[in-house]
Amino acid sequence: MDLVTQLFPWITNGPLITVQVMSGLSVGMFLFLVSVGMSLIFGVTRIVNLAHGSFYMVGAYLMVTLVEILPERPWAFWVALLVAPLGVAVLGGVIEVGLLRRIYRRDPLMQLILTFGLILVISTLVLLAWGPDNKSVSRPEALAGSVSIAGQPFPSYYLLVLGLAPVVAVVLWLIFYRTRWGMLIRAATVDREMLGALGVNVSLLYTQVFVFGSWLAGFGGALAAPTIAVALGMDGDVLTTAFVVVVIGGLGSFAGTFIGALLVGLLQSFGILVFPAVSIVLLFAIMAIVLIVRPWGLLGRPEA
Amino acid sequence: MRERLGGSMRWVSALFALWTVIAAAGSAAAQGKAIRIGEINSYSGLATVYTFPYREGIHMAVKEINDAGGVLGRPLEFIFRDDKLKPDEAVKAARELVGQEKVDFLAGCISSGVGLAISAYAKEAKTLYFATHCQTSRLTWDEGHRYVAHTTNNVNQYIRALAKKAAATPYKKWAHISPDYEYGHNVWDEFIAYLKQLKPDVQVVQQNWPKLGETDHSSYITALLQSGAEGMLSVVWGAQEIAFVKQARPFGLFEKIHLVSASVGNPDELDPLGKEAPVGALTPGFAWYDEGMQKRHPKLAEWVKKYEVRTKKEPTLGASWGYASTYLIAEAIKRAKSADTEKVIAVLGEGYEMEFPWGKVIMRGCDQQAIPPQWTGVVKMNAQGKPVLADIEETHGRDLIKSCDEVAKLRAAAAEKKK
Repeated sequence: MDLVTQLFPWITNGPLITVQVMSGLSVGMFLFLVSVGMSLIFGVTRIVNLAHGSFYMVGAYLMVTLVEILPERPWAFWVALLVAPLGVAVLGGVIEVGLLRRIYRRDPLMQLILTFGLILVISTLVLLAWGPDNKSVSRPEALAGSVSIAGQPFPSYYLLVLGLAPVVAVVLWLIFYRTRWGMLIRAATVDREMLGALGVNVSLLYTQVFVFGSWLAGFGGALAAPTIAVALGMDGDVLTTAFVVVVIGGLGSFAGTFIGALLVGLLQSFGILVFPAVSIVLLFAIMAIVLIVRPWGLLGRPEA
Repeated sequence: MRERLGGSMRWVSALFALWTVIAAAGSAAAQGKAIRIGEINSYSGLATVYTFPYREGIHMAVKEINDAGGVLGRPLEFIFRDDKLKPDEAVKAARELVGQEKVDFLAGCISSGVGLAISAYAKEAKTLYFATHCQTSRLTWDEGHRYVAHTTNNVNQYIRALAKKAAATPYKKWAHISPDYEYGHNVWDEFIAYLKQLKPDVQVVQQNWPKLGETDHSSYITALLQSGAEGMLSVVWGAQEIAFVKQARPFGLFEKIHLVSASVGNPDELDPLGKEAPVGALTPGFAWYDEGMQKRHPKLAEWVKKYEVRTKKEPTLGASWGYASTYLIAEAIKRAKSADTEKVIAVLGEGYEMEFPWGKVIMRGCDQQAIPPQWTGVVKMNAQGKPVLADIEETHGRDLIKSCDEVAKLRAAAAEKKK
């Protein structure tokens, strides 16, 4: 025990551990919101959408513009938070109908090239539309400060995230397991040919799923906007982490993404305490271990 | 026959006269083959917030120089290439510029890693490279050679200016947060070394090395809160520092630990932070709007106005760097009386000085390193509630920078290491 306390002096520091757990959880919740859309889109359409991070970025930029043009009232933030992801959903719909629909049956490599190309196109369009300057959104007045948890200050905005993400998770679960649409989505992940043969309009289903997944990415971006700088390059940063989350959890698995996101969030926050020098490597080390032990991810299904 | 010949002669001489008149009407405008400079920088993605104003600075200086007759009567021409912030892309562009475009010189870099990569290529290709925007001191020191010159500040000078300011505070326990790459390590090492030199009882109580571009810093913030540090250096920059500051605020981090930042005083961070800017932070910056600055440098206001008319934007430090770099390169060619690489290097080896609207820039001969004025200040809110850099303290890099002897030792040690 002495050795342990010497090596990790924080281990007896209850308040520190509590706050570290809380911040790890909120990081995980952000990650969940961003990754679940990517996982969902892959589950149904079998497309690894590399442009998912770009949708997240557009969500954040739309948030900036909406907060700017709406009158300075307490409700403006919440309206923007609702409308910005809708804009991204429309963008997702246009891209699915205009581009992706044409390549579902092509080589997966073609799909990767297309979605990778979208990253470059969207990033350039964002630069043209919003310019090179960094942007920022203020937190809503009510959530600008902090609350005391175990005697430590904790940002109240993160409490919103900690509350919202599980709500989204529960709603998603209800949609998937308690509605006909959810049943069709689950059926499409198992056997899309059979679903089509049964008279379901699979192509419409794909569009709906892609739009919904884009909405989730946009929502993640809009919600994250007040805690970060809205800037070019945020697409790539989030894509890498979301990808790790989805791979750990299992591509296409909804519960897996949730667990993967929490795992990565907590790992980041405790990795800094335990191995500050290698906390970056830790993330990829865990991904590598998961891939070796369960190549299809924690809750994913092996390819039949 | 004679008649006809005489007639056409008349025509020829008339045309010749006309041509001279037209040429004269072009007044001093530069003639002859252009002096071509291949400029490699990051012109897409996240660095554009710096490189776009920097490029405006270059355009502004090139126009002034060419309108006044060019360099040695030849116009100056920049050929821009995007390096996408990647060393391998930059070297590819450098090869193309030297091989196909036949440029006379190379210039550019915002990422320190890119700068070192172009410099290594320049050495091998025996092409003179002017590093213009990246700041690692290793460029002209540990990794220095005759084919690289650095026309802007290096980390050593402005971090020493900042460390001097930090040494004047009563704080002894220090922590830091720095991105884990070339620049982050270079800045932290220089800062803490100089701070300890000025104040031997300084201790480092905690260190944070997030990856470059990390977006969530809450875990580092809680670790800092528990560290017992009284002062901290932030080396994260741009969007990452904005995120760090915004996330740290609700934790009350800056009430507990005094913030010293390598970059928060620049408008690309202060403007978006707005009300959330870290008031009281010590930081360097190009505060051209400061009254004292304008009083000390009477020509500054005019330059700022000229830049604003041109670009419809306020200038940044990067804009001043693009402008100064162009003039420093032109001056070296002018003094060499030739665009020949070896002759220009000979001029650089002797060193020279130039006056700019913001003060004197020395190009030091021994390491071909620029030594400009240094400014540090404190973040404050102005009367309009906008964050600005105030209480500007001006020093000059020549009073701070490592001496030529120290540089020689650094180079010798680096050469020893490579053996």
